[in-house]
Amino acid sequence: MFGQANVLAQGEAAFPPSVEDFYLPSIVPWGAENSYWFTKITAMVWLAVGLLIIFFLVTYRKPQLVPTKKQWLAESIYGFVRNNIAVDMIGHRGVAFAPYFTTLFCFILLTNFFAIVPGLQISPNSHIAFPAFLAVISYVMFIWVGIRHHGAGKFFKNSLIPPAPWYILPLLIPIELFSTFIVRPFSLAVRLFANMFAGHMLLLVFTLGGFAMLNANVWLAPVSLLSWLMTVALTFLEFLVICLQAYVFTVLTASYVQGALADEH
Amino acid sequence: MAGDQTPRPSGGPDDVPPGAGQGWTALSYLIAGMLVWGFIGWLVDGWLDTGGVATGIGVVVGMAGGIVLVVRKLGTPT
Repeated sequence: MFGQANVLAQGEAAFPPSVEDFYLPSIVPWGAENSYWFTKITAMVWLAVGLLIIFFLVTYRKPQLVPTKKQWLAESIYGFVRNNIAVDMIGHRGVAFAPYFTTLFCFILLTNFFAIVPGLQISPNSHIAFPAFLAVISYVMFIWVGIRHHGAGKFFKNSLIPPAPWYILPLLIPIELFSTFIVRPFSLAVRLFANMFAGHMLLLVFTLGGFAMLNANVWLAPVSLLSWLMTVALTFLEFLVICLQAYVFTVLTASYVQGALADEH
Repeated sequence: MAGDQTPRPSGGPDDVPPGAGQGWTALSYLIAGMLVWGFIGWLVDGWLDTGGVATGIGVVVGMAGGIVLVVRKLGTPT
């Protein structure tokens, strides 16, 4: 990863970037092609897990009435998710889900944030597998919570049969089935994946494009500079997307749980 | 945003998802309506050889269904 700048300067990096650029070489065994058991992506996911565990353990090891700076930070994050997402969306029952939502929010925020950390510079969430698995957890959770709260029959009746006169139900039930049980996990996963994928691709295009133009013709140097300035600007845009997508994923999970817990119409 | 920690007065009806959730729900109903009934129309097309008419009707019917769902589930204040 530290040889990147040299590779770029020598004009060896292929422009336009392709999907291949998302499949980084293996770490163990070192540099092996087509071996994906332990890559930079894997390492980053475990890094994120480790960082989050250590952060919350350290900040909350000796909780004090007047919080220290670190404790304040951890409590603000938890308080934000609990009050502004869990309780706001679900109501008083949402407090029970706040720990999971906080974990989810922090994990997505941190793994997304890796996309703009120098040296890491790619988010694990730009591989569909990670968002897909998070979406599966949300999907199973809202169905399970709904069944536990209402019982299976009542839960499926509630979520499939909208409050409408009987003659219009045949029109509405397929839509409900499709939008509740098929589209939800898919859209959750694709929304996060596509945002991170596109973000990484954009940064690649503008960075590599600068080098490609420079290598093609020295007189294009000012345009290269413009391209790199765009990279800087897009990095700030990326930061916005990173926070927004972490928030949206959590809010939508909360909204699905809320729908599963909602009383009948 | 982290400083704003006033919990919402709870006890109101929990039926309608507030804020962002409501927007996504509405959007997903509208799109899902068109997709589901468009797909059914497309199947009918293939079955009866109507050359796209049934797909068109299906999309319009699905859109109407989506709008009915949005009005019914999100529109009526409780």
